[in-house]
Amino acid sequence: MRRDLRGALLLLLTAAVQSSSMSAPGKPVLLSCRSPEKETFTCWWEPGSDGGLPTTHHLYYERERLEGTYECPDYLSAGRNSCFFDKNHTSIWVDYYLTVMASNALGNATSDPFKMDVMEIVKPDAPENVTLRVEEREASPCLHVRWMPPSNTDTKSGWVTIKYELRVKKDNSNNWKEYTSGTQTHFSLYSVSPGGVYTVQVRCLLDHGEWSEWSNTTFVKISNYLQNERPLSMLISILSAILFIMAGLILIAKRKSVKQWVLPPVPGPKIRGINSQLLQSGGSDDVGNVLIIKQSFPPIYFVWEDQMEDYLIVTENEDWLSSNSQKRKKSLIPACFHFDSEIHSKESPCHKNDWEKDEEISQVDNNNKPFTNTGYVDFQRHVENVDVKHVDYSRVKEVKSDNILFLEKEKVQSSGYIHFQRQEGIPEDYSRVKEVESDNLVVLQKQNAADLSCKDEGNHYTDCALHKPRKPHVCTELSDSGYVDTIPAPPLM
Amino acid sequence: MEKVLFAVLTLVYLELSMRVVSAPICSYGQAGCHVPSLADLFERVIQQSSRMHSVSSDLHSEFEQYFFPRKNLIGKRKCHTYDILTPEDKENAQRLGREQLTEVIVRLLQAWGEPLSELNQSMSQDQNQDFNLYSSNKALEISDILHELKDGVTIITEKMKLMGVLSNTVGYNSPESLVPSSAFYTQGDLDSMDHHDLLYCFRRDSNKAKNYLRILKCTTLPEPDC
Repeated sequence: MRRDLRGALLLLLTAAVQSSSMSAPGKPVLLSCRSPEKETFTCWWEPGSDGGLPTTHHLYYERERLEGTYECPDYLSAGRNSCFFDKNHTSIWVDYYLTVMASNALGNATSDPFKMDVMEIVKPDAPENVTLRVEEREASPCLHVRWMPPSNTDTKSGWVTIKYELRVKKDNSNNWKEYTSGTQTHFSLYSVSPGGVYTVQVRCLLDHGEWSEWSNTTFVKISNYLQNERPLSMLISILSAILFIMAGLILIAKRKSVKQWVLPPVPGPKIRGINSQLLQSGGSDDVGNVLIIKQSFPPIYFVWEDQMEDYLIVTENEDWLSSNSQKRKKSLIPACFHFDSEIHSKESPCHKNDWEKDEEISQVDNNNKPFTNTGYVDFQRHVENVDVKHVDYSRVKEVKSDNILFLEKEKVQSSGYIHFQRQEGIPEDYSRVKEVESDNLVVLQKQNAADLSCKDEGNHYTDCALHKPRKPHVCTELSDSGYVDTIPAPPLM
Repeated sequence: MEKVLFAVLTLVYLELSMRVVSAPICSYGQAGCHVPSLADLFERVIQQSSRMHSVSSDLHSEFEQYFFPRKNLIGKRKCHTYDILTPEDKENAQRLGREQLTEVIVRLLQAWGEPLSELNQSMSQDQNQDFNLYSSNKALEISDILHELKDGVTIITEKMKLMGVLSNTVGYNSPESLVPSSAFYTQGDLDSMDHHDLLYCFRRDSNKAKNYLRILKCTTLPEPDC
């Protein structure tokens, strides 16, 4: 009994449940439509609740420029809840108004109208047959990608133009690099490195529609055959770097000798008797001291340095007391230097006609002889001395007894001949100087009046007037300048 | 003063240099000008039509963003070029033949000259605040391209006639008889609805023109991959 009651209750319940779920179908929703090649299109819808009863769906459409309402020609080709419009039923540039109706035993439900134009819903299929080819070149490998357009598109008649895009990814990273390929069905990638796995995908676009989905991934592994060479090349480069560094260090350490070898010092002029260091350090006074003869000059013999260039001033006028003063054009080294290792030159008058001093020396001090007609003659080595008497005089101040002479301290200006009175008829007589005390005292040797000796002082030439040559010809050198002419007569003063 | 002189000199120089560089393009083979081939002409014309369509498409979508989208409105819109019979799929277009296709193209292009200028005028005034400066520039660009496109297509037809590819029956009917639209738009100022309709219709027609031109090129100059 209870069993039966329970059974009856259950039946009632199920009946009640069943009866409450049965209803008219829910409203379906048209999702989207798509045309892959601008010649056909497909539309999909979403059904609503089915109301518990078997429900059927129908798609109806109206079209611009076409009277009447039509039903979907093909429900099957595109799968469930879809409608496929083939070429005969597809028109471009006209509006379609679609509706889907769901119906079951209890009622119908119609979706909202969906307006579309085939021009707007173009989305192609993905490109097909994507192939990758690795070209292994010396410097770096490159990747050639090739693909085919989707099979259903008609590119031959110009009805559609397809543009492509591809993207590349290396190994497992998520960074895709995108490239545009235009209308070509091939592309070359040069920025690939060996030892990586590259994944490539391609997609396409028809006219101004939507981009297709990305194609299936194709990947390729580029062999790293180059890697084996790397350690070797690295080793070589490291070794050469070490060698270079060592060479550089050696050069730096020996830079002086290297410098000498590369840039040998240029030999400069070396003047014997002149110390260049002294010249550099000293003032012009020293130069003057070296170059200028204040006193007498050495005799004929000069030793010439090879580097010396001398100029001989030739003048027509033998009398080298020229009134005017011509400016010297050059500084000349006096021709009558006697050079040796000693810095001080021996005092000796210059035998030459003229010599000139450095311009630095003031005219007052030296024996410069300006000339009217001057010319320069290249000086020869051993030039005969011209017989010119050039004498230096010191005035005798006082004569004590008969063998002591006091000389005037001041030198006589030897700017010319000193005319001193000579008494005619008095023979020239010479006395030998015994000694010179201080700088103005001369002691003469007592001698026979007949004694004659010729004094040769320094580099002077003197005519020895040998009246009675008793003693041999003696030449002495005086530190002072000049010789003393003695006259047994009363003092010259 | 010196700046003015400098500017003048620069302009003169530029003008002269430009004169030296460019060679005029002419279609009749006059002396001294470079005559482009038919392929070049087609290429140029197709590019122009493509540009025209893409700009008008942008303009339309911009408008739809701000304007109340009337996508679901059943109200049948009628473009003023409705009466021009155009092939609506590939087979029909290919079946049409070169002469008729050319005529269709020419008629389409000619039909849009006036309405576009009206649109431009309305946009520049823009009482309804539908557009901004950016959009008005686009509309202006569309007008310019359309004008060039018309000239280009004329040149191509002449050249094709010369080459014997096109028979001489292709004539140019006067725009007035073709297009009933002139009456349509002179009723008054264009309002937003009119703006929207115009843009929608033009987008469609420019796409038609582009497709037809491509078909024409590929049937006239067959290539393996057109």
